[in-house]
Order: sequence, then structure tokens, then C-alpha cells
Amino acid sequence: MSSDKESHSHDDIGCLEAIEAFYAYLDGELSDPQAIEDFEHHMSHCRSCFSRSEVEKLLNERMRESGTSKAPDDLRSRVRRLMDEF
Amino acid sequence: MVLTARLMTDSEDTKTFFSREIEENMDALYGTALRLSGTGADAEDLVAETVSKAWTAIASLEDRRRFRPWIFRILHNCFISNYRREAVRPRESVYEEDDDGGLVALLNAQPDDFLVWWANPERQYFNNMLGSAIMAAIDGLPDAFRTTIILINVEGLTYDEAAEALGVPPGTIRSRMKRGRTMLQKALWEQAREAGIAATTHNSRHET
Repeated sequence: MSSDKESHSHDDIGCLEAIEAFYAYLDGELSDPQAIEDFEHHMSHCRSCFSRSEVEKLLNERMRESGTSKAPDDLRSRVRRLMDEF
Repeated sequence: MVLTARLMTDSEDTKTFFSREIEENMDALYGTALRLSGTGADAEDLVAETVSKAWTAIASLEDRRRFRPWIFRILHNCFISNYRREAVRPRESVYEEDDDGGLVALLNAQPDDFLVWWANPERQYFNNMLGSAIMAAIDGLPDAFRTTIILINVEGLTYDEAAEALGVPPGTIRSRMKRGRTMLQKALWEQAREAGIAATTHNSRHET
């Protein structure tokens, strides 16, 4: 956790602040440019947080791959018949 | 009366729009229903009921661009009223659902072994983990967290859309993501520990 704020245009946030922003960043929900820059700067020099973020990204990919399902044809037919009656 | 009249004159257009949106969201609706209800038959019934109720309530969709959160909200409400009481799921949790006391406070309350795992994740373990094991861990989470993670991380809703779908403020979604994902990590850690992987990781780190 560095505290050398004057030498950078961004704040050197520590691991604790980075952790709080973790999921919002990974989910593309961190909108404040300064917060994004601070987070990315922290990730660029904190091996532990970077390593965590890589695993969380991997978990995001695995969840997307494993959790999505295809609606059965029977259901599609059923819903189409249902909508025909509307 | 005004809304009814507007819909009647615009009925074909509204129906075309509705049918197209339902078709486009069918996989996501079914996938979410499947994770919520637990069986394919219940999921199909839940989707069919959602479509019927949604059409009945189509006048309440004020902005067509918000169809996705709107239809997921109806799906979720149907699930709560029809299935939730019957489902066997963990109801008790040491986690306060919407308490945003911060992730640090949450982590501080966890056992040391888990924190070692959390701080030193084994990428290879996640690489090799079966998708079914990950989804089983998600299925074991308390409803609020499970549903939020499914909508965002599986079906790809934004935090705003998930907030609208679940009828909670966006801040609650952020809080649920932090807490829910930590709970998920803990569930995966418990799986790894049962498989003897987490214990090995822990010991090897102490030896080095």
C-alpha cells in the first residue's frame, strides 16, 4: 500500500479500497474515470490483487459458460401457442 | 381507459414487439427460471406463466427499451409467489442481505484458512473446476445473492437492470455482488477443502 500521492496524477489506493471496488470494476460498473484509473493503477503494481482479479475474471467466464441454458423446443412451441392466443 | 384504447389501436405493433422480445430473451428467461426453480419442468411452467402475466401487464411497460429488466422482474415475482415457499434452500445466513458494511468487514469475519485461499487464489484450480460445481455453489447461496449473481454474471444484466428486475436500489445490487461473490468464493473454498486441495495449498504456503 503506497502513500506517495504527489508523484502520480491518480491516488495510490491501497488493497482495502481496491477490494471494495473489485466487483464493480470487473462487471464494468465502475463509471468514475478517476476511480477506474486508481483501481487499474493499483492492479498494475499489486501482485496479490492482480492475481485475485485474474481468478475472478476466470470465474466470470466460467459462470457465463456453465450457467447459460438453451430453452427446450417444447417450451418455445408452448410459448408461441400461448402468444397466438393473445 | 386511455391506455387500453391506445393498446387496442396499437395492438398488432405491441404484439409483434412483445413476441420478438420474448423470443430473443427466451434462453435467458429459461436459464434463470431453471436456476431459480431447480427443475426443467418447473422452469418451463415459470416461463409460460411469466409470458402470460407479462402480456396482461404490457401497459405497465413505460419504456420499451427497459423490456429486459421488466420481464425479469415479472419472472422473479412469479417465482417468489409460486415456488419459493416450496423450495428447500438455505434461508438462514450470517450475512445481512443488504448491509453494506463493506467487504473488508465481511472478510474480517471469515476464518483465517479461507482468507489465505482468498488472498492467494489458485488459478489452476478454477481452470479445472467443473462448471457444474460452480453452478452448484451458486445454487447453494441464499436467494437474494443467488438471484443477483445469476442475473448479472450468468445472464449479463447490468447492475441497473438487475436493480429494476429485483425491485431494489442499485446500491443494494453492488452490496449483494460484493457479499454474494465472497460467499461464492467461500463455497468454492469449502469444495476445494473437501477435495483436499485447499488444505494442500494452505500447508504449502506455510512451508515456503
